[in-house]
Amino acid sequence: MWRPSNLDRTTGIFIGIVVLCLALVTIDLRASGEGLGSTLRDGTQAAFAPVQRAVATVTRPVADFFENISDMFSLRQENLQLRDRVAELERELQETESLHVRVGELEALLGIQPPQDLDSIAAQVLAVGVSEFDHVRVIDKGSDDGVGVDMPVVDEAGLVGRVVAVTGSVARVRLITDPTMAIAVRVERTGETGVLRGRGSGPMTLELFGSNTAVVEGDLLVTADARFPAGIAVARVTQAARSEVQYSLRTEAQPVAGVTRVDFVLILVFTQDEAGVTDLEDLERLPTDVPTDPGGPAEGEGEEPPPTTTTTTTTTTVAPGSTP
Amino acid sequence: MKVRRVMLAVGIVVVAVALQTTLFTRIRPFGAAPALVLLVVIAYARHLPPDYALGLGFVAGFLQDLLADSPLGLWALVSTTTAFFVVRFRDRLEDDFSLLGPFVFGVTAGALALFSVLGTIFGQKTLADAGIVRKIVLPSAYNLLLAALILPFITWTLGIARRRIAAFRL
Repeated sequence: MWRPSNLDRTTGIFIGIVVLCLALVTIDLRASGEGLGSTLRDGTQAAFAPVQRAVATVTRPVADFFENISDMFSLRQENLQLRDRVAELERELQETESLHVRVGELEALLGIQPPQDLDSIAAQVLAVGVSEFDHVRVIDKGSDDGVGVDMPVVDEAGLVGRVVAVTGSVARVRLITDPTMAIAVRVERTGETGVLRGRGSGPMTLELFGSNTAVVEGDLLVTADARFPAGIAVARVTQAARSEVQYSLRTEAQPVAGVTRVDFVLILVFTQDEAGVTDLEDLERLPTDVPTDPGGPAEGEGEEPPPTTTTTTTTTTVAPGSTP
Repeated sequence: MKVRRVMLAVGIVVVAVALQTTLFTRIRPFGAAPALVLLVVIAYARHLPPDYALGLGFVAGFLQDLLADSPLGLWALVSTTTAFFVVRFRDRLEDDFSLLGPFVFGVTAGALALFSVLGTIFGQKTLADAGIVRKIVLPSAYNLLLAALILPFITWTLGIARRRIAAFRL
């Protein structure tokens, strides 16, 4: 018959630690990212940042060596791809210039003020998450530099993630590919709104609701989420799809930002409060009969449903990277 | 003597966490990096007295938790379980790397699988990850390769020639 006295000392200690860990998990989950857990995390991150800086500096030659080896293999292929890309971009540039003229004309027509450029803070990625399951980046700018929680983070291609924790000198960015991330997006070509969800690695999942139109491969998805400035490129559709039963559409999209190999990023000085006010102002300017589209994610999944910005056919003409 | 070795062990864990979060940002063959901290825990758990092995597992995991995005205590639980498992089975293993290699692979894979299951239970959606198998298998394979360096290094830092002589005296 089993008795507690049958347990050896090691097993007893192990069970004790397991209970302690489960208690810690429960307390931390109930605190919802605040309280003692958050204080401990911020303190550790601040204290650990100099260690990470030192180790990154010391190991840079080693990393360079391995990176150069891998680059040698991919350089030739990349060169060919870049030539094609330059030709393509030159063509797009010409098209964009004519679009800018058209946008200006339309904005003047609707009485919308041209969007002002947001302030931004450049930062370098200092460290990554502690495991393959941790979709975060630690950047070398913190609250002392003006970085705040919830600010969007972008690279030269598009949205990378958003700031989830800040200390004086560093900040933690949750990547858009994190499985708990859900972002309201708009298909730039059609103006349809939907939700893009992270899946850790690999392509993200795009869901459109109440959609009659199809998406095609290469369709650009831009932000339509009140937590981010409208129109930032997020991902490109990788699989064409049509609406299924009850007008829902589900397909895959690849992030446009270099989420896995990002070195430098820009933090956009933009907060949700700011977005809320701007959205209301924009709403007041819109004609009353223009339909709005909530485009939120399915309930009960991921982080809280992303509030969407108003989406109409007129806002689809606003250039990417602009304020709502 | 005791304090010095304990400090050294904690120092090595800290360096392992720092390497994990910096060096392996850039060295990621096939899009994955080794689970270096787990490997260090395995290496220490082969030699340390059971209480110390569990304690070190907890400390290493807790440090990871403090730097991770997952709930506090999750990595500590996984890391302590790993140490406990190694303590339980270490006497059945010889120092032969042909046995130790697969053992390290299996323990790492088991620990990462445990983390993904617990992560999902606690709302991290780790099992929903599209590359879940790759994220378990590749770090385990890299740990198997790195074990050839790390296991002897940890043995050397403890000042013992072979585990069999391991009347480990902290």
